[in-house]
Amino acid sequence: MIQFSNVSKSYDEDVVLRDVSFAVEKGELAYITGPSGAGKTTLLKLIYCAERPDKGQIVVSSWDTAKLKQSTIPYLRRNVGIVFQDFRLLYNKTVFDNVALALRIHDMPPKEIKGKVNDVLKEVKLAHKAEILPQHLSGGEQQRVVIARAMVSRPTVLLADEPTGNLDAETSKTITNLFREINARGTTVLIATHNDSLFHGTGRRVFHLKDTHIEKETIG
Amino acid sequence: MRTFIYSLQTALKSLWHEKWINLLTVLSVGVGLLILSLFITISLNIDSSLKRWSKNFGLVVYLDEGLTGEAEETLKQFFLKDPDFSEVKYVSKEQALQELRRMLGTGISVLEGFEDNPLPSSFELTFKRKLPEPSFVRRKADQLRQMNGVDDVEYGEKWLSSLHTLSGVMRTGIIFLGGAIFIAVTFVTYGTVKILFYRRKDEVETLKLLGATRHFIRLPFLVEGIFIGILGGIISSAALYGLYSFIIYKGPQYLPSISAFIIPLPLSVYIPAPVAGAVMSLIGSFFAVGKIKY
Ligand SMILES: Nc1ncnc2c1ncn2[C@@H]1O[C@H](COP(=O)(O)OP(=O)(O)OP(=O)(O)O)[C@@H](O)[C@H]1O
Ligand SMILES: [Mg+2]
Repeated sequence: MIQFSNVSKSYDEDVVLRDVSFAVEKGELAYITGPSGAGKTTLLKLIYCAERPDKGQIVVSSWDTAKLKQSTIPYLRRNVGIVFQDFRLLYNKTVFDNVALALRIHDMPPKEIKGKVNDVLKEVKLAHKAEILPQHLSGGEQQRVVIARAMVSRPTVLLADEPTGNLDAETSKTITNLFREINARGTTVLIATHNDSLFHGTGRRVFHLKDTHIEKETIG
Repeated sequence: MRTFIYSLQTALKSLWHEKWINLLTVLSVGVGLLILSLFITISLNIDSSLKRWSKNFGLVVYLDEGLTGEAEETLKQFFLKDPDFSEVKYVSKEQALQELRRMLGTGISVLEGFEDNPLPSSFELTFKRKLPEPSFVRRKADQLRQMNGVDDVEYGEKWLSSLHTLSGVMRTGIIFLGGAIFIAVTFVTYGTVKILFYRRKDEVETLKLLGATRHFIRLPFLVEGIFIGILGGIISSAALYGLYSFIIYKGPQYLPSISAFIIPLPLSVYIPAPVAGAVMSLIGSFFAVGKIKY
């Protein structure tokens, strides 16, 4: 579902990824871990074409990202739900509208949008905060809004960048369970985190990113 | 269609949310369009006055002395058949003399000195065209002068050419002013939409990452630009209407002769400003949003 072949990426002189190859299978839930600055976010950005590789090939679903035209990028992104490390919520829009935005860009009828957004907000236990602005929410609640927005369109791939950033163990667990449910429905999930406890004992594959390459692959 | 409705909502919200900068832009657009409308209105008035004054513009054909009534009738029929003329009026020697007497006043003895009436009989020909080209009039006059029985042909050559020049100057002025205002209005909306776009840069960035197409991202800004243009145009038309009504009702009190120049404006005069505003601002906003890169 996601395949990297000899991918290299540098920012100016700063090499972040060198000859990285790995693959996440369809329907899999996998982790990428590594110290801060290792290039986890960069790797995810390469998947949704926010960054382009200097070298190598990246295939997402059936798209070869190197061959993607600018005008096709939106269609790739509609199939990839993203939980951004920095949230990227619109702070002048309500929780409902933030989540609905992911469907409005699909040109979906408002009625259908309403149903889907309400359903997903129930799933992340935020139905009662639908009409609230994001700045009045706690960190964990905002995180769940971002997850709701990423999953509402039922993407084939879900990328989560540090989804439990600085949340307590209890909240982390709720969120991990959410990803497990999303994955159980058939979505391929890739989670980037530096938090070992997130994948310990899950039995899932973990890619360890360190010093510009995937140092090892373990089972969590 | 749903995207359009969404864009409409977004644009209206933004219009209200950023009301001050939008108001300023609408006013600037309105003033620009008002200047242009005023200029066009003035020129329309001048044109219509010209047409009115020159409505009876024509040629005076003086006939040879001693022409028979038959020959005069032949000429008359000839002029009547000419499609360039709308009216043919015969002025006999006697009528001409009477007219002269009337103009000079009675009791003037100059005319008594003549035994015979020295004035020629003539035809007054009126052109069908409202404001004929000077060159056309000259050609026509030369042609008639060649005819048998015609002594001379007269017309207000200088007068006609200066009318033509004036109306030409106005027309050129409108083209230049129109061009200048077009550029000004386009740039004003360009600047405003650019600012609005940068203020919402984060939102645009997020939309891109969520998979919004260029069209989806661009449309709300274009719609907002069009709104600005239309509102500016409406303001311009309203101001023009107000100003014009004021002049029509109050003007003659202070300057009685003004009513000779002012024509009532047709309703269609108020439509172009909003349309022109919309087009100009649409172009401005289009360039302001620019190329969207992923
Ligand atoms: N746009 C950019 N321009 C220049 N350098 C960048 C850019 N983005 C990231 N980097 C650099 O690339 C390296 C990897 O950054 P990245 O954000 O991918 O790390 P990360 O593994 O996600 O870290 P963290 O766990 O702190 O989120 C860092 O050294 C960072 O400074
Ligand atoms: Mg990161």
